[in-house]
Amino acid sequence: MSVLEPVVELVRGLGQTFRYLFDRPVTYQYPEQKREVRPRFRGRHVLKRYDNGLEKCIGCSLCAAACPADAIFVEASENTDEKRFSPGERYASTYEINMLRCIYCGFCEDACPTEAIVLGDNYELSFTDRRSAIYPKEMLLEPVPTVDMTTPRKVETGVYKRSVPEMKDPTD
Amino acid sequence: MSKQVTLTIDGKQITVPDGTLVADAAKLAGIDIPVFCHHPKLEPVGMCRMCLVEIGRPMFDRATGQIVMENGQPKIQFMPKLETACTNPVSEGMVVLTQTAKAKEGQKGTVEFLLTSHPLDCPICDKGGECPLQNLTMEHGPGKSRFIYDEKLHLDKQVPLGELIWLDRERCIQCARCIRFQDEIAGEAVLGFDERGRNTQIVSLSDPGFDSVFSGNTTDICPVGALTTADFRFGARPWELKAQASICTQCPVGCNTTLNTRREAKAGGDIVIKRVMPRQNEEVNEIWLCDKGRFAHHYVGSKKRLARPQIRKDEKLARASWDAATKLAAENFSASKKDFVILASGRLANEDLFNLKSLADHAGGRAILYSDMGGGDLTALVGVGAGTNLGKLGEGDAILVVASDLYEEAPIWYLRVKQAADRGAALIVANPRETKLDKFAKFSIRYSYGDEVKAVNDFGKKSKISDEFAKAKNAIVFFGSEGLGLNGTSAVASACADLLKETGHIGRASNGLIGVWQRANDQGAWEVGLQPEEDLAKALKGKAVYIVGTDPVGDDPKLAKALEGAEFVAVQDILETATTEIADVVLPAQAFSEREGTFTSGERRVQRFYAAVPPTGDSKPDFVITSMIAKQMNIVLEGTSVSVVFDILANSIEAFTDLSYAKLAEVRPQWPIVGRGDVYYGGTTYENKHGLGVQLVPAAQVGGTVRIPKVKKEAVLRPKEKELLAVPVNKLYDRGVTVSPAELLDERVGEATVSLHPEAAERLGVEAGARVKISFDGVSGEAVVKIDDTISAGVALVPRSMGIAIKEPVAAKVK
Amino acid sequence: MLLEKYPKEVKQILSKYPPEHKRSAVMPLLYLAQREEGYVNKAAMQDIAQLLDVTETEVASIVGFYTLYHDEKAGKYRMQVCTDLPCALRGADEFLNNLCANLGVKVGETTEDGLVTIESVMCLAACDKAPMFQTQGPDGIKYHENMTVDRTMELIEALKKVKE
Repeated sequence: MSVLEPVVELVRGLGQTFRYLFDRPVTYQYPEQKREVRPRFRGRHVLKRYDNGLEKCIGCSLCAAACPADAIFVEASENTDEKRFSPGERYASTYEINMLRCIYCGFCEDACPTEAIVLGDNYELSFTDRRSAIYPKEMLLEPVPTVDMTTPRKVETGVYKRSVPEMKDPTD
Repeated sequence: MSKQVTLTIDGKQITVPDGTLVADAAKLAGIDIPVFCHHPKLEPVGMCRMCLVEIGRPMFDRATGQIVMENGQPKIQFMPKLETACTNPVSEGMVVLTQTAKAKEGQKGTVEFLLTSHPLDCPICDKGGECPLQNLTMEHGPGKSRFIYDEKLHLDKQVPLGELIWLDRERCIQCARCIRFQDEIAGEAVLGFDERGRNTQIVSLSDPGFDSVFSGNTTDICPVGALTTADFRFGARPWELKAQASICTQCPVGCNTTLNTRREAKAGGDIVIKRVMPRQNEEVNEIWLCDKGRFAHHYVGSKKRLARPQIRKDEKLARASWDAATKLAAENFSASKKDFVILASGRLANEDLFNLKSLADHAGGRAILYSDMGGGDLTALVGVGAGTNLGKLGEGDAILVVASDLYEEAPIWYLRVKQAADRGAALIVANPRETKLDKFAKFSIRYSYGDEVKAVNDFGKKSKISDEFAKAKNAIVFFGSEGLGLNGTSAVASACADLLKETGHIGRASNGLIGVWQRANDQGAWEVGLQPEEDLAKALKGKAVYIVGTDPVGDDPKLAKALEGAEFVAVQDILETATTEIADVVLPAQAFSEREGTFTSGERRVQRFYAAVPPTGDSKPDFVITSMIAKQMNIVLEGTSVSVVFDILANSIEAFTDLSYAKLAEVRPQWPIVGRGDVYYGGTTYENKHGLGVQLVPAAQVGGTVRIPKVKKEAVLRPKEKELLAVPVNKLYDRGVTVSPAELLDERVGEATVSLHPEAAERLGVEAGARVKISFDGVSGEAVVKIDDTISAGVALVPRSMGIAIKEPVAAKVK
Repeated sequence: MLLEKYPKEVKQILSKYPPEHKRSAVMPLLYLAQREEGYVNKAAMQDIAQLLDVTETEVASIVGFYTLYHDEKAGKYRMQVCTDLPCALRGADEFLNNLCANLGVKVGETTEDGLVTIESVMCLAACDKAPMFQTQGPDGIKYHENMTVDRTMELIEALKKVKE
């Protein structure tokens, strides 16, 4: 080991530093500047709607059953054609996710038979107390495209009889 | 013992009684053959073909009739095709193969076929999670279907069969379990199949729809989500529910139940009872539960529940501490000395009643049972022997039902008595009017109201009926309160006890007397020494009264008046009632679902119930409140542990000797096998893990001479001209405080009615459906006229607990 | 009331069965009830249920199961074309479609004049002579085998004359 060796190492190290001085910076000026998320990013949940504005969620509670952190609470009620939330007989009258408990694993997405719950790209979750970490259905639901599509709404009798959407023959 | 047969299932040798079906034999051997239409309680039909297995029988030589041997073993000849395990009874030497490729293929094909038109809407189906079709598809299904998905047949999805049961025609797999249950077990064929083939669907044309008090049971045994209850519709998913063992409080049968609970946002975040399910006890309710037991539980979650102790201050009830409330009550009770009266009801648990009785004894007061039915001393004396099981009665046995409409008063007894009659027991129904049980009776005896005792005493004379009863191997007598008051029922009970004694039907299992009480624990109240009082108004007037679990003010204007003149009134109840309004002190008690305790059923079976939901507000169990009052009166009563109260009770009351909570919680294996893992087999009934209860030994079974006290029956009331003899009858769905909070039953409860003979109606100039005013003894009420031509012209039937205070036969004016 | 309308017939039918098995009389009684209007109405079902001590649902269930009982009003004659597999192989489906097109009705519908209702039914046990149908009308049940649309139209014309 020569005496020069530490000097070489020092120069090499400083060289690295020097090189980064001219590199493009990777730092984002969050929150002014936000980073694009990946397509399969799992962020805050969104409850989706059909194109006609009806809620996709049918209150089946399978997401709650699949949830390893027990973060989801669902309570169902019955739809009527006078006051319809979702197609079919059943809708979620209460839907809550405790964001402090959620581990963003996406099992709820997998369990959902109507593709109603989707993990979105919002990761900006902060709360000042535990209670506000519980997101009720109103916060989770996707906004309606137009005002006349809000739920609950009155619909023609006998049109939305089935909960689980008509799907293609799975063998096709 | 019947002949035993040995057979081999999947290489496992098993010996079962001759006549057992292969599917049941396999279940006994611990081998699961998948079934849908087969139910161990129902006759086999072989409709669904799910249980296809290979069955082989020993080959016989046609010439010699000898079994053909091969390598020292009988040669087994298999049938060329698969056979249904649910319709084939076992035979000696039979070989059954359930796991072969051929059998598996058959089962796979059946599942595939059953799913052709099944909508697969499991996510919203109330059965999802405890569904036999779901489970068996996972286990035996092919995974893929060769049928074209778009060709599924779509039928109506939301069909209310009545206001209690909903039908989803798409989900139905046409197993006919529900139809067969109604036909074979309930004896009310109000369900049927319409059309045929793929279009087969369940219909009910009765009025009101699905007119049966057993309708809820069809949802338990339905192997799919086709039948669901209106009460639980979309209420919760089965896996989210907690289950706690309980006992039904609606009638003296003491059905074992399971309370399914869940925390609910709709209920403001409270833990509430979501549904009441039967819990198997083959000696009490088997796996069934009547609709009252299933749907009338809402009172425990009623908004009228009392949550805090209250004391009357300046004519108004004001909130008070437990200490102040119990102290005030204790002071008044102590001061009144001999004028201290406790009025308790049979809605309370054994421990509560025991503490109340002890308090009365120590304080020198009196404890009265709030009931207009007597004879409990006799059921303790010559009641049914320990080991009685109505489900074992059959050929050669006799059942006598006197002055009771079991269908309305104790539906599960009706069901079990009816089935005993089906098995060959001689059923004798003695009632002044036709009841539903008459259809299954070998003999029906009609007497006029007032002649009950005579009708029973006539068994002493020689006749075909009395011979049959006297010669029966076992005989049970049910006595009720149809058309009778306290004195009348006491007299009938005494006559029945005499009859049983004369014919030697006492002191043995499956023999003796059963009282069809109006409340769940009336028998328990008699056991701990509480008795009803003939002139209750007199007994309450001017006294310091401690009313527990009853509403005398709401029930009877005469008692209301008597209580106005009472020195002091303390009311301990779970709900706000007319009586709590006049009370000086109100003490909130816990409902049966919030605490532990025991009830004694009409068959004298002591059974435990457990706490399922947290208590309402500051309420406390009845026995605790009583001990708190006692403490303030310097009387020491156990007031912390309910099991200790029971131990003290067991030590001081002879019939309860040797009983303990541990003993009451013992279970034995039961047949059929039901429960969570076996929902496909026995239904969604819960298996019993919390105790089958213990039947008390009646004095007659202990030994010694039995002396039956004589009861002098008051002369039969003869109404004057222009008056009718109004008699009380019992109605299942009444306006009692434990029923009316269940809104679902409103329609079945209906309005107060008065049944008249067509002649009487004509004489009064009223028609069916007309509103009339009925008045007697300073009591009056409105009722809707019903015409009944099976009653006599001089009587008017008035149901109890429907707003008209009738306790015993009275002369009444109907306008 | 069935009993009031046909006292003699009802009594005669009931006399054929032992009293403890009187429910067996349900089929002949249903025929009796159907005779006049071509279908069994609800009141008649109630009557029969009462007569035989069974529930109305049980009676309705029998009406629903057998294709020869009807619970809805239809034309004077019901033309019931068998479309089960063997018949279909011999062109029953095509026959039915053409017949319907010719009459301007759909399966299950009645012609405008209220004369015939076309129905498609399960096996009538005449597979070898398909296409075939049976007519059910005031003159009872008749089989018509090896049929063509032309021959059927002729038959309908003949039936019209009977009406006149």
